[in-house]
Amino acid sequence: MENNNQEIKEKVATFRSHYGAMMFRRRFGEGCTLRPVPRSLSSSCGTAAYFYRDDWEDHLDENVEGVWERNGEEWRKLYGEE
Amino acid sequence: MKVSKEKIGLMVAGGVVGLSAIILTVFGNPKNMGFCIACFIRDMAGSVKMHSAGVVQYMRPEIIGIVLGSFLISLCKGEFKPRGGSSPFIRFILGFFVMIGALTFLGCPLRMVLRLAGGDLNALVGLFGFIAGIAVGCFFISRGFSLGRAYKENKIEGVALPVVNVVFLVALIAFPSLLAFSETGPGSMHAPLLLSLLIGVIVGALAQRTRICMAGGIRDIILLNDWTLVLGSVMIFVVALVGNLVTGSFKLGFTGQPVAQTNHVWNFLGMLLVGLASVLLGGCPLRQLIMAGEGNTDSAITVLGLFVGAAFAHNFKLVGNATENGPNVWGKSAVIIGIVIALLIAFFNSKIKEEK
Repeated sequence: MENNNQEIKEKVATFRSHYGAMMFRRRFGEGCTLRPVPRSLSSSCGTAAYFYRDDWEDHLDENVEGVWERNGEEWRKLYGEE
Repeated sequence: MKVSKEKIGLMVAGGVVGLSAIILTVFGNPKNMGFCIACFIRDMAGSVKMHSAGVVQYMRPEIIGIVLGSFLISLCKGEFKPRGGSSPFIRFILGFFVMIGALTFLGCPLRMVLRLAGGDLNALVGLFGFIAGIAVGCFFISRGFSLGRAYKENKIEGVALPVVNVVFLVALIAFPSLLAFSETGPGSMHAPLLLSLLIGVIVGALAQRTRICMAGGIRDIILLNDWTLVLGSVMIFVVALVGNLVTGSFKLGFTGQPVAQTNHVWNFLGMLLVGLASVLLGGCPLRQLIMAGEGNTDSAITVLGLFVGAAFAHNFKLVGNATENGPNVWGKSAVIIGIVIALLIAFFNSKIKEEK
């Protein structure tokens, strides 16, 4: 929801497997696309889920490795172990 | 349209790989074999006397360079992360059969692209097989295929394979009498050591930065309709094609191609096995070297599988043979067994079930 000039930032979730990404998208529903993990986040070439909504925490499971938020060219970690 | 930094990087890396392949060929590597990860690992297995096929023995500095290039750049960029434990022995077996498939076709996916750029139409048949194998792998990936997660490991574990490559390099430079070297055949044809090593390091570093991967590019198209990663392979083809035309090495056709065989069925099936096993492994042989350099010990085990596969392929004469027009009955059996085993691995590691 856009209000008070607050920009809605893109988020990306990374997974332990492509299947984990598919399941996340299924749970998440509308507004989630699967694309390769951004190079700036990882040197591996797995599948990531890109979305804008803020209710991502409701859809986490053990397959989700991390969730990040775009901050210009950078990504800021929102969730996940070191 | 704004082209992303990632796409530009992949195109530059692909261009450099294509150009490097031409340079290496001009300076002595076999034709259409500026790079071939499978052939070169096979030559190295011969050089350390794991097999005794006299025409394919040389300690290829390109491979050493690729691993060390990836290792050094990942160290510099803070991306050297030792990890492993994702079904290592299954990966060894898949690596073994990637080599069997590649030596049936006579080239890894990278050499397949270089052969295409040289006008070798057998590589087009191989490409169809490669795509078919990747498509089958994607079927299982989208049904939950996974070899399990990898875990953090200690630094020594991650450094081991790069160190082994340093040992190989020291042996090549200081103690060549320990190694076997071909006097005739493809193994005897090579660019100067330092040039091969330097180009290997550059390609290894660029491949680490860009994640370039022959299998991954096609997988991303099939699974995600994403055409980013394949750009690297396309650029390798384009630059090598231009290079071959300029140097007069382009020759269109099926017959008389360098280090090639013309049996369509086994070119197709060999590369089908490579595509299927590579996509299950998460990357082509080049990508396995890069990930091994980054400290991924599962990839290091896969590289060992490639070595042992090469030794078996030559000790048991399973390879595609240019003069006999493809593999013999044992080679054909090995490819079929490889496809069946890869399918079983894919099936038993998938979750073919519905989740809400």
